[in-house]
This record gives sequence, structure tokens and C-alpha cells, in this order.
Amino acid sequence: MAEITFDGVTKIFGDDIRAVDELSLHVADGEFMVLVGPSGCGKTTALRMLAGLEDITSGSLSIGGSVVNNVLPKDRDVAMVFQNYALYPHMTVAQNMGFALKIRGQSKSEIARKVGEAAAILRLTDYLDRRPKALSGGQRQRVAMGRAIVRSPQAFLMDEPLSNLDAQLRVEMRLEIARIQRLLGVATVYVTHDQIEAMTMGDRVAVMRGGKLQQCDTPQDLYDHPENEFVAGFMGSPPMNLLRVELDTNDVGLALLLGSQRLDVPSSYLSSHDLPKVDGPGVVFGVRPEDVEVLEGSSPGSITTRVERREALGAEILVHLSLVDATGERAVVVDDVGAVVARPTRLVAKMGPRAGVSVGDHLQVRLNSDHFHFFDAETGRSLRQGH
Amino acid sequence: MTTLLTPRTESDERIEPVSVKKPRRTGRWILFGAMIVVAVVMLYPFWVMIITSLQSENQFLSGGGFSWLSWSSLTSVIPIGQEVLSSTIVCSASIFIILCVGLPAGFAFSKLRFRASTGVFLIMVSAMMVPLQAILMPEFVNVTKLGLTGGYFGAILVYAALGTPFSVFLFTTYFRGVPDELIEAGIVDGLGYFGVTWRLILPIAVPAIATVTVLQFVQIWDDLLVGLLFISNTSERPITVGLAVLAAGRTTSIPELMAGSIISALPAMLVYLGFQRYLVKGLTMGIDR
Amino acid sequence: MSTVPTTTIVSSTSAPTFAPKTRRMTLKRRRQLAGVVFALPAIALVVAFIGIPIGQAVYYSFTQWNGATSTWIGTSTWTQAFHNTNLWTALRNNGLLLLSVPFALALPLGIAVLLHQRVAGWRIFRSIYFMPTAISWVVLGLVAERFFAYQGTLNSIIHALGFSHFSTNMLGYQSEALIALGITFVFTMIGTNTMLFLTGLATLDPSLEEAARIDGAGRWRIFRSITLPHLSRFIQLAFVMTVIALFSALFSLIFVMTGGGPGYATTTMEFLIYETGFNQGDFGTAALYGLILFVITGIVGVVQLRLIGSNE
Repeated sequence: MAEITFDGVTKIFGDDIRAVDELSLHVADGEFMVLVGPSGCGKTTALRMLAGLEDITSGSLSIGGSVVNNVLPKDRDVAMVFQNYALYPHMTVAQNMGFALKIRGQSKSEIARKVGEAAAILRLTDYLDRRPKALSGGQRQRVAMGRAIVRSPQAFLMDEPLSNLDAQLRVEMRLEIARIQRLLGVATVYVTHDQIEAMTMGDRVAVMRGGKLQQCDTPQDLYDHPENEFVAGFMGSPPMNLLRVELDTNDVGLALLLGSQRLDVPSSYLSSHDLPKVDGPGVVFGVRPEDVEVLEGSSPGSITTRVERREALGAEILVHLSLVDATGERAVVVDDVGAVVARPTRLVAKMGPRAGVSVGDHLQVRLNSDHFHFFDAETGRSLRQGH
Repeated sequence: MTTLLTPRTESDERIEPVSVKKPRRTGRWILFGAMIVVAVVMLYPFWVMIITSLQSENQFLSGGGFSWLSWSSLTSVIPIGQEVLSSTIVCSASIFIILCVGLPAGFAFSKLRFRASTGVFLIMVSAMMVPLQAILMPEFVNVTKLGLTGGYFGAILVYAALGTPFSVFLFTTYFRGVPDELIEAGIVDGLGYFGVTWRLILPIAVPAIATVTVLQFVQIWDDLLVGLLFISNTSERPITVGLAVLAAGRTTSIPELMAGSIISALPAMLVYLGFQRYLVKGLTMGIDR
Repeated sequence: MSTVPTTTIVSSTSAPTFAPKTRRMTLKRRRQLAGVVFALPAIALVVAFIGIPIGQAVYYSFTQWNGATSTWIGTSTWTQAFHNTNLWTALRNNGLLLLSVPFALALPLGIAVLLHQRVAGWRIFRSIYFMPTAISWVVLGLVAERFFAYQGTLNSIIHALGFSHFSTNMLGYQSEALIALGITFVFTMIGTNTMLFLTGLATLDPSLEEAARIDGAGRWRIFRSITLPHLSRFIQLAFVMTVIALFSALFSLIFVMTGGGPGYATTTMEFLIYETGFNQGDFGTAALYGLILFVITGIVGVVQLRLIGSNE
């Protein structure tokens, strides 16, 4: 039907800029696929290739089962919502929305009917006679969507449509777009740099970086089982705590050296992960802030920390903790000699909104051992077996 | 009561600075006086033209009087209606060509980049600075050989060619400010590039079109040399040439000449006054992109 | 809404069959093709009516040419021309008239600053100052001719003021005639240049001026260090336009005011071309003069581009 397949698609600009590198991705009919990643990761380029606005250097792209590498945009039956809406300034809302239909020679009554339906879905009926310059940002965004909807295309392509809206409007529109997409059941490829949008809107999310696809999974799977350090740190806010640590043996198995403190690694991880040797380069250890529990008193296996900073967000308090060693001073986790450590040496933990903590307090925290993550210190790949 | 920053008056245009310090009272009067002086100087030619035309030849020579004689005898001295018509035809046709040729080219150089388009554009822009006289002789001979001198056609083509580089420059600069997304939206909606130009670009190009029209209109209407040389049929002579010939003649009545000049100046003035807004916009377009 | 509308736009359509083009007609190719096609008419027109004549001018400058037949006489046209005093007179006159360019820039600048003060009614004054631009150079020349002539207005004023022994015959003597031409030329350029500078002043960010004032800068200092640098692009444009006008539009003024005379005293290059070609019938030499004119304006243009280019 209207499924989309990227097969080894590569885009090279100029002589050597690989904007998209061997992207292979499949979007099922009716699926909402989000492409997410930092700026320059290639997500917009991938979208534009899908629209036909950029040539494909190598690889093949199919829509609905047919290869469309050399098919012009107008023959691909896709509709696009642009970041800056790109509304035709000299036309009314109704004319903007009906434009594509008019070009294809549909009758005036047909056009009016379809525009009316789309306007009803988007609550634009009262604005049909206005010009874009008389509309607010949110209204313009809806007109841009309406323009795409009327065409009943094979696929919707959206290029960061919410990034120009203020925060509150963005939350509203997130729900709107998701609702409409479910209603219409059209395959959608949605590009954003905001991982919250990705998490809340996508059926599946494809994380990209430097032109390469990092991982494509459902939001929850991305969250719970990131395949590499980048995805782990990218998805989730506040981001996962990532610490570069050395390993040491203990009586039962392995332990992590957090400064002068030790954290036992449960034996289950020894079998499920390919942990490196003790005298090796160490490992990147990850644990999410919500899995860092602040304790009342001490407890076996807990870590001593010191509060360095606190951020009160209203619904919760984030505390930035540093590791403390035996003398009570702040500890620094393993540094490469001469190399800059980009990983934070602090833990971020979430606390309830009314927790009474101040900077300088010493807290005991327990890390939830059900949700440890381990990544290769050199490649960043997850050390979970089977990757 | 003196305030340092006077509030904006309602009639301020959009491009004006928000808080312009208005000078103090006495300073203001001095400035006002200065502006009046300049205005008097600038209006002097009009004054001369009007006064002189309202005399008969005899009155003019003897230094006084008032009469409509020169105005009424004007039509018998030069076929002014016909010459105005000729000027109109030549102007309109030339501007039409300039727009038809310049707008697509401006769009092409700004948005439809092809290999060598930058180089070609530079050459086109430098053609703006070729003075007519530099190419006058070969131009004249070529046009004659094509059999186009005598009537309007040759002059129209020459005017069109002379005005094209500037119009291309203006349109290109203007279209550079159009967001690419707008064109892409049209493409994805199903238009080809011709459709994009016709349905999307043309409607939003109105200010640029107005600017080109105004500037070229005045230039062509007031031009002497091309009309003089390329339109040899007296029946198709434009008004500027008519006046110049009249001025060079022996038996010319100055008042009549002035009356004719006023008529010649009217269309250009009207066009200017009518399109002033666009002119200001248009001149800035070429400067700060 | 009571029910989810099952409407036309919701139902899925059957997959259309894509016809892959046999040639690689991608969007980029289409765009480039459109670019070439759209630019072609303009290019053709300019090449045909400007480009080719330049080449011809080069060719014909080496010939004896009367418009119909041309005989190659090599560089003798050139040597003859350079020995012709008229050429040097014309060049000299153009050079002298160049001296009027600073006035044609400074006066409008002053007027623009004046208008920019936004004293009451300034918009009306702006329109008034701009109106003479609408008048044909021919007509302005006629009015100027009346003003400067022996029996003209200037002399009347002088007589009236009692300075009768200063009365001039401006158009009868070479140097005075040139001055008369210069003054008229400056007058004609006031309108456009004022408009240009006024626009430039309007685009100046007032917060720059305010910041300078807070820093303690006086009026003149502000003008010199903030206003003028901002206006430099506009001044450059005005300079180029004025010089081009000096080398082309001046023709109409000369035609009407002095006819190039007395003798060749007030002939400039653009008038000389016309005179040589159409009054004397010597097309070859006229073509050569045209070439010289072109080179001069070309040099001015290149110098300008360098200056503008270095600012960007």
C-alpha cells in the first residue's frame, strides 16, 4: 500500500559531505514514524529526498512498492508540511488549501467540499477567507496541515512543524497532529529535534546522528533498551546518567569503581552482557535519574553523594550529585590521561517536589540494579548480548 | 514644555525609525526655512515653464503680459497629441518587453540556479553600465539594416535591451528574499516551474514590477537620443524629440515650447507621484539584501 | 462532532502506478532547465543589442565607415582620432564636468539629512524635491538655457540687483558655458540622489545613534562616524549613477543648451559621438569614440565594484 522503504540511501553534497549515510528504514502503511536527532544529523535531508526535493546519490527509495528515485515530487503523491509553513501569501486560507486540487483539475464543488471537511477537522472553518498574514502562528500551522490533508496523499511529510510555536501551543498541537494522523490513517514521516515530540507522537522513532541511523524502535524500547550511548543520552529528559568507570572483581563477581566507592554489579548482568575484563579500558555505565533513589538513611550497597546543585521544577526536584570518597571530599571518576572526559562525573536524581535538600547536603542514594546500562567505552555500543 | 523625545505622529511610515529626536523650536524654524529655500529652487523650472507658457510670443519678447495664445497655437506648431501618443506607445511596449523578459530571468538567477548562472548574471549586471553612446553607431547601423528604423519597432527593441539589465538586477535581488520553502511547497503540491512562476511568483512580485515600471517609464519617456535617431518618421516621433526639434528651430516661440514641455512632463510626474511608495522600497532592495 | 466523519479525505486511495521516467529527469535537472529557458530571452536581447554592438564597435573603429560600406584602414583611424583636437577637448570637458560630481553628491546628502529631521511637512517637501526628476532633461535644458542666456533670467537678476557690469554671456564663452552645464547637471541629479540618500538614512538603525549619544558624541561626530559609514553603500551607488549620467544623459543638456559650442568648446564624449557620426557621417571614428567612452565607464565601474566588493 502506502509503505515507504529506504534501502541503503545515501546523499552526498559536493565532494565529500555525507549528509545521509546508508539509511535503511521501513515505514508501514498508516504508521507514524519520527526521525529525530541533533542538527545536522541528516533527518531533514532524508525527508527532502522522500519528497523528491533532493536527488538521491545512491541506494533506492520506494513508496507504495515502486522505486521513486527519479520520480518528480508531483508524481509521488506525498504532501509536505514545512517548518515555516510556506503558505501562499496572496491566497486565502481556502485557496491555499485547495490549491493542489485546483492544479489537478478537480471541480470547484469537489474542492470546496474537501476543503470544508479539512477545515472542520482542523477548526479552521471561520478563517477560510483570511490571508496568511492575518493569522496567528498556530493558525498558520494548521492551514499548512490542512493543505496537506486535502490531498489525501500516500504519505505526510512533516519538517519540524512545531518548532516555531510557543511552548504551550506546541503541547496542544502535538496532540492535535497525533489525533489527526490516527484519524486519517496515512503513513507519516515526521522530523524533529525534540525528543519529547518523538516519544509522545511516534509509533516508532528513528534516531539519527551524523547521517547514520542509530536505532529505530518504539519509543519505549528506545528508552528502555538503547543500542548505543548516544541514543541512551539523547532520549529521555533529564538525560541518562553516563559514567565512565573501571571494573574490579569482588567475591561474587564484578563491581564498578565509582571513585573510592564500589557498586556491585548483579550477576544477572554478567550473563546478559559482554562486560570487559577487569584490567581493560573500563566501561560506560548508565542509569536513569528516576532509577537513582535517594534514601533516608544508609543502606547496604548505597552510594554517598553530595548535592552540588538543585533545580526545582515544580512537579519534581532535580538534584545534581557528585560522588564522595572516604574523606568526604568530592571524587573524580576515571580520567584518561591527557584525554578530555566528556561524560559527566555527576549523578542526577529526581526527588519529590517537597523534598528538603540544600546544596552541600550529603545524600545516600541507591541505584536501581534492574535498570543498569552498559556501553563499550570505545565504540559506545550497548554491551547487551545480541547486539 | 520641551520634551526630548516626542511621541510618534500617526502618519509615520513603517520604515521610519521609532524615536527620532525632533530639534528644538528655533532649530526647527531654521530647518523649515532651509527646506523652503530648497523647494523654491527645485520648483523654479516649473515656475518658469508655467509663467512663460502663459504668454504669447510677443508678450514674451517684450517682457510681460498674460495670454493663453501659446497654448492654443501649440497644436498647430507641433502635433502634440500624436507625439504624446507615440511616446506612450513606445514606453508601454518597451516596458512590457522589459517586464516579460526581466521577471523570469530575475527568478532564474535567484532561484533556478544553473551552472554558470553566477557568471552570466555578473555580465548582465555589468551591461547596466554601458552608456548608449558607446554602442550607438553599430546599434544604429544594425537596426537600420534590419529595416527597423523609421517606426517604433527599432526604438522599442533598443529601449528594451537597455532597460533589461537593470530590471534583471532588480528582480533578482527582490526574488532572493522569497523563501525557498514557498517554491518547494508549490512543487510538492504539483506545479512545474512555469506554474510556480505564473501562479506564485508573479502575484508576489508586484512591488518589484511597480518599481521597474516607474523607473523605466521616466527614463524612456524622457529620453532624447534613441527617439531622435531610431524613429525617423516624423509621424511617429515621441514628444521629447518633438520638443527638441522645436527648440532647435529658428522660428520657435518660446512660450509654445514651454507649453509643450509642461505637457511632456505631466505623465512622468503623475507616474512618480502615484508610485512613490514602491520607489522607496525598490531602491532599498538593491542595497541591503 | 457526533461521529468520526468518514469522508473522502480519510479513505485511502489505491496505490497509483508510478511511471519511472526513462531519462534521468530529476527535479534538479528540471530546475536547471527552467533556469536556462527563463533567462534566455533576457540574455538574447542583451547580447543582440548590447553585446554584439560592442564587438562591432571594436571592429569598426579600425575602419573607414559611413554606415553602409566599411574599408579597413587599420590603426590609422586611431592615430587620426588621437590627433584630433576635438577628441581631447571632449575628454577634457568630461573631465572638467566630473568636478561637478562631488556637488551632485554633497548637495543631495545635505538635503536628505535636512528631510530626515522630519520637521513638519517634510513628506510634501520630499515630493517637491523629487518632481524635477520627472521632467525630461531636454526640458530642463531648455529652462536652463533661458536662465543662462545673454537675455536670460540670470542677467535680469544681476541687472536688477545693480551689478550690471557682472552680466555674463555664460553660454557664449567656453568656461562659463561649462559651468552653466555643470550647475544644470547638478540640479538634475538632486532629485534622484536625495531620494537615494533619504532611503539610506531611513534604514539606519536609530539605536546606533542613541548609543553614540549616550556615549557622549556630538552631532557632527555622530554624523561622521555612524551616519556616513552606513551610507557608504548608497553613496557609492549614487556615485556610479551620477557618473554614468554624466557620460550619457548629459547629451540632452548639451544638445539643447549649447549644441556643443561655441565651436566644440562644450562638446563632451557622448555629444562628440553623435556629432561625428551623424553630422559628419564618420561612423568609424564615432565607433572608436564610443569604445573610448565604454572603456572609461568600464574603468569607473570596475573601480566601484572593487570598493563595494571589499565591503561585503
